[in-house]
Amino acid sequence: MAKLLDKQRYKCAMGAMQTVQAITRAIPVLHSGPGCAQKLSDSIGSSGYFSPNIFPCTSINEKDVVFGGVKKLDTTIENALKVIDADLYVVLTGCIPEIVGDDTGEVVSRYEDADKPVIFASTAGFKGNNYKGHEQVIDAIIEQYLEKSDEKEKGLVNIWADVPYQDLFWLGNIRELEKLIAELGLTPNTIFGYQRGIENINRIPKAEFNLLVSPWVSVGNMKKMEKKLGIPYLHYPTLPIGAYETSKFLREVGKFAGVDEQKIEGIINEHENYYYYLIERYADMFLETRVMAKQFSVVADAQYALGLTKFLVNDLGLVPAKQFITDDTPKAFQDQIRAEFENLNYGLKAEVRFETDGYKIHNEIQAHDYHGYPLILGSYYEKELTEKMFGHYLNISWPVQDKVVLDDFYVGYTGGIRLIEDIYSVAVQRWN
Amino acid sequence: MGAAALSYKIAIASSDGKQIDETFGSAKSFIIYEVTDGVYRQAEERIFHPDKIRDETAALLNRCGSSGGCGDRAHGGCGSSAGGGCSGQGDLSSKVMLISDCRCVVCKKIGFHIQKQLERKAISAFDVSCSAEEALDKITFYYSRIDKHESLRG
Repeated sequence: MAKLLDKQRYKCAMGAMQTVQAITRAIPVLHSGPGCAQKLSDSIGSSGYFSPNIFPCTSINEKDVVFGGVKKLDTTIENALKVIDADLYVVLTGCIPEIVGDDTGEVVSRYEDADKPVIFASTAGFKGNNYKGHEQVIDAIIEQYLEKSDEKEKGLVNIWADVPYQDLFWLGNIRELEKLIAELGLTPNTIFGYQRGIENINRIPKAEFNLLVSPWVSVGNMKKMEKKLGIPYLHYPTLPIGAYETSKFLREVGKFAGVDEQKIEGIINEHENYYYYLIERYADMFLETRVMAKQFSVVADAQYALGLTKFLVNDLGLVPAKQFITDDTPKAFQDQIRAEFENLNYGLKAEVRFETDGYKIHNEIQAHDYHGYPLILGSYYEKELTEKMFGHYLNISWPVQDKVVLDDFYVGYTGGIRLIEDIYSVAVQRWN
Repeated sequence: MGAAALSYKIAIASSDGKQIDETFGSAKSFIIYEVTDGVYRQAEERIFHPDKIRDETAALLNRCGSSGGCGDRAHGGCGSSAGGGCSGQGDLSSKVMLISDCRCVVCKKIGFHIQKQLERKAISAFDVSCSAEEALDKITFYYSRIDKHESLRG
């Protein structure tokens, strides 16, 4: 029976057009109906040299459903190559062409000899959400564009983390991860954001290893690169937020890369000293129990639910209530992620629910006894609910309506401090 | 809906009855196929008489005399988009009338303006270059699937 999904927190697989857009000078070429790009684009930093309003699109209609849309796709790619000055063209298919059976791969293969690379990713909505679509785009780059390299660049590390645009902090986070990796004496390589693009994609095969910071998104991509390009990978499932997790992160990455232990400890020490200096200065606020809620819930994708829960428990010493993961995490990863939630400091364990239905999530939050007002870190959907419960609320996951983020971030030592500032700003506003 | 036999008509713009070779504007006639339970058969040929209809249209236009400016603009837009096959808005409107009982029309090319007129009458336009047989097969397959609420997959 058809299921109605209330308060959905992701988009269809073609939302991966934002993944393409995050690669500077890469353009999605959409083989879809005319409304798709419009509906999928958020106004959260998606204008610029290319914006969703100018993405080439086949705008297929009833005729193409009946007679097939390959001809239109062919001319759309051909003309996109003529009129749009991009470095990489990524054809994305919507639901309609895949239902009626257009052979997109065959059409794209006609452009193998084009001056610029043209690749395609199957992103029909019925194949999954935009987290899956993101993986499909990276897969397409690996399968159709990258070649194995015998030449390796010493210390070069490809970093993969958040899904651009779906994650509000994607740009700031990946830059901060780069900085941390660079401090270890390694050379970070990422493909998303300002001054990253085709050159960085070309460097991928030369890396010594891939670093994936995500509970499940892109694990498949890492395996694919290991197999095709011979690049080993380190899978670090927790987004490192705050001192505890970031130090752990640096130790683990440093060890994997063979960085001198003393050097790692030196870096950690310097960061932690400053971090705890700040914490200490505000200790009276942290210790004033009236200010902060006793228990918290995070409603977000696996990346943020896990990263934030670890931070709030390990660094801030809060008690976790039920946590909600809303990204439709594949079953194969759920046990692994659940185990991470049970591995918190002070012997604490957090119960986690994999749930995409906002209605059920809200019911469970309302049914829980938070021993006072709750702290809810979630999407905009949780705002009204938290207000009803007189709780503290912070918008950290999609959809985002009450926050503007240009390049702010929550990753690392600095990111942890930013998050403390955001959470406690909410709390003190209530008391003042 | 449901079990009742669905019957509808398809208009084809073809000079020889085999190939879709006429644009909507240039077509002198339409071959009408009747489709019952997904099976099509040729029913009739409707000849377009521009003179006769021009009089009727003139009468029609006179009734909405104030829309002169609009009519002019439509005239120009239509003339250019139909690739010369169209000889003015009046004729085309009457051509729409000629096939107004059809579910869709199949022709080699069609202008944007006239397509809008058809849309208002819930008539789909398919501009394709293929044999009439191929078009009929594909269109009847499509309609039979959607009428039964079946997926187009496979």
